[in-house]
Amino acid sequence: MRRTLLALGTLALGTLGLALTLSAQYQNVFKVTWLEPGGGEALPEFDAFDSVDGTVGVLNASGSLKTDGHPFFTALGSNGRACVTCHQPSWGMSVSTAALGDRWHETDGKDPVFAAFDGSNCPSLPQEKESSHSLLLKRGLFRIPLAWPPRNADGSAKPVEFTIDVVRDPTGCNTSAQYGLKSPEPTVSVYRRPRITANLKYVLSGATPIVLKTGRLADVDPETGKPVSMNLMTDAREATLSTQAVNAIMGHEQAKNRPTPQQIQRIVDYESQVYVAQQAHIFGGPLAVAGGPSGLGVAALRDHNAGVLGDNDYDPVFGNFKAWHGTDYYQSSVARGADIFMHRQFWLRDAAHINSIGLGNPVKRTCSTCHNSRMTGQDLSAGWVDAGTTNYPTWTEPATWADSSELPVFKITCAKDADPHPYLGRVIYSTDPGRALISGRCSDIGSIVMQQLRGLAARAPYFANGSAKTLREVVDFYDRRFDIKLSDAEKEDLVNFLGAL
Amino acid sequence: MIGAVALAQQRSFIACPIVRDTRTVPCYLAEYDGETYFLGIQQDITSDFHPPQLKHEALIEGTVAAGPRICGGIPLQPLSVSVIKEVNLACNTLLPEETGIDAPPAERGPGPSTTPLETAPARHQTFSGPQQFTVLYSFDDDYLEYGAQKVVNEAAAYAKQVKAASVKIAGYRATSLLSNGQQLTEKAGLAEKRAQNIATLLRGLGVSNVTVDWKSEAEPGNAKTDPSRRRVSIAVAP
Repeated sequence: MRRTLLALGTLALGTLGLALTLSAQYQNVFKVTWLEPGGGEALPEFDAFDSVDGTVGVLNASGSLKTDGHPFFTALGSNGRACVTCHQPSWGMSVSTAALGDRWHETDGKDPVFAAFDGSNCPSLPQEKESSHSLLLKRGLFRIPLAWPPRNADGSAKPVEFTIDVVRDPTGCNTSAQYGLKSPEPTVSVYRRPRITANLKYVLSGATPIVLKTGRLADVDPETGKPVSMNLMTDAREATLSTQAVNAIMGHEQAKNRPTPQQIQRIVDYESQVYVAQQAHIFGGPLAVAGGPSGLGVAALRDHNAGVLGDNDYDPVFGNFKAWHGTDYYQSSVARGADIFMHRQFWLRDAAHINSIGLGNPVKRTCSTCHNSRMTGQDLSAGWVDAGTTNYPTWTEPATWADSSELPVFKITCAKDADPHPYLGRVIYSTDPGRALISGRCSDIGSIVMQQLRGLAARAPYFANGSAKTLREVVDFYDRRFDIKLSDAEKEDLVNFLGAL
Repeated sequence: MIGAVALAQQRSFIACPIVRDTRTVPCYLAEYDGETYFLGIQQDITSDFHPPQLKHEALIEGTVAAGPRICGGIPLQPLSVSVIKEVNLACNTLLPEETGIDAPPAERGPGPSTTPLETAPARHQTFSGPQQFTVLYSFDDDYLEYGAQKVVNEAAAYAKQVKAASVKIAGYRATSLLSNGQQLTEKAGLAEKRAQNIATLLRGLGVSNVTVDWKSEAEPGNAKTDPSRRRVSIAVAP
């Protein structure tokens, strides 16, 4: 429990015939924000929680929900975690480092979120020490242990185009005799943020039989045989919400028995109807208002069609912000930020799976070229891209990584007969090879599936590696990476825009 | 004699591309033998022209076209541009916008698009006989760009429409004859790799009765039809 200042606005849910008016006032309430597995809380149709400078809205489009006995909110494994442990409504169906820090101190590090398996830097470390959980506490990163080489569905090893050497191992896990690359079950440990389990109709849309970026077949839903969007996970390793749920329960929750089909269906049903978006700004007031931008707020996410390309002037990614130009300071700033996002041209260069797929290198484009999916800003096609966050020299880590990076560093050497990474060649230093750990391809090294840009203000830090503590740091990274030359005022506008999503 | 004249208009060379900024979209150029050639402008992924890439040399294979210079370069048409896979950091020339140098009109500018993408009508709906589809590749490459993916999708749709009794795939690799007389041959094994990849795609798209063949040897280049021989043919028989 914690004291929460809620800035609630008016939410019009008219499209489905619902009219829900929230108390349009700031109020001090004691509110349960961290949901523990088995807590039995009832979730309302709409709720709002503190986020940076305002509130994030969470909409259960199917109506209020009883969590008692619900498999998303119930520990199904052996370590006391449930799905909700890492996908908390209060933090936009993800979890922030602020929340994790509070949780550590409230439970003296005993909360299941800090489970040794992946809630610590490595299971071999002394679990009572805060330093053993530094990546989770400082960056919000969970350990993702991946078999190396990757496996096919039948368990056989996939062919791989490169070798991996560990050149820096601050967590000790990748060189561990028990958990590392040379252990009896060779494993690569990378560290990633949990993605938000909301707005998923958009994330799952846009599937094509052939992946535009690779020219190869898309993964298919094992139940239906139909191609999937491959936009669900950081490395696109899970085909569907069902496969993700099963493997998360067997992995993150350390279950000994597979969940039942009924449990999985209830989890999928719940995840498929949750919408998350910033709902109000502490000075700007409600964001989803009549006559304002059509894409803001949770009701807009519920009501819009998925699978629509938004890199255009007639149906832009997050709607039209013209009505906010010249209004108050905050709205005008958000509108200018939206203009920068859609229209500010810069040289987009050296980004594998963008420049390398026939567009040319460089191309003069805008943010919305890549963040093109209507309402979420993911890539509508299977969206793994090497924007440079994990590969040297553009990575988010300090230039003197050998002294100060908290992340492992891998030296990856591509085979002579493989296609090299299109801009980094055949020897690459990376803190997270991303999609390449699943595909085994050099051209995928450092490619990360784009995240949706909704509910951002509730769930810092950012990037898959949690390196950006604030949205300003995200903007600074892109400004540096693509030499956009944004002014401080423009950066503030972009931050306000992103924070309003 | 006519053939010799035609050959004189052919340009086949490897060079670092040059990117020229303009008021609108950038132009892509290349220099060879003291002359600058215009390759194309930035377009969308659906365009027939796929620009080269800085950090890579490119194999340029084209015919000198009539008409004025574009973006300061002699236009080549038809034209094939292949990105050489290995990274070459020396290829890094980005020229600034310059008064008097303009890109030709572009269907899409550098910002968001202004018109919806047109969906091409489905082909072969009225045919029911044998059809051949040809998938073209960049030099030394088995990656299917957007246009090639479209061909595979069309072939699969047609094979399923006519319930094909036979879908024969044949993969090839080729040699390019450069303007300096050098023969540049694609890597061994590429014909098989191309053919097998297409077979995998077609089967994955639900096509049955697929057989695969390939020609391991690359034919000598002739500087005229070299790009069209880097291919996979798909022969669909009802």
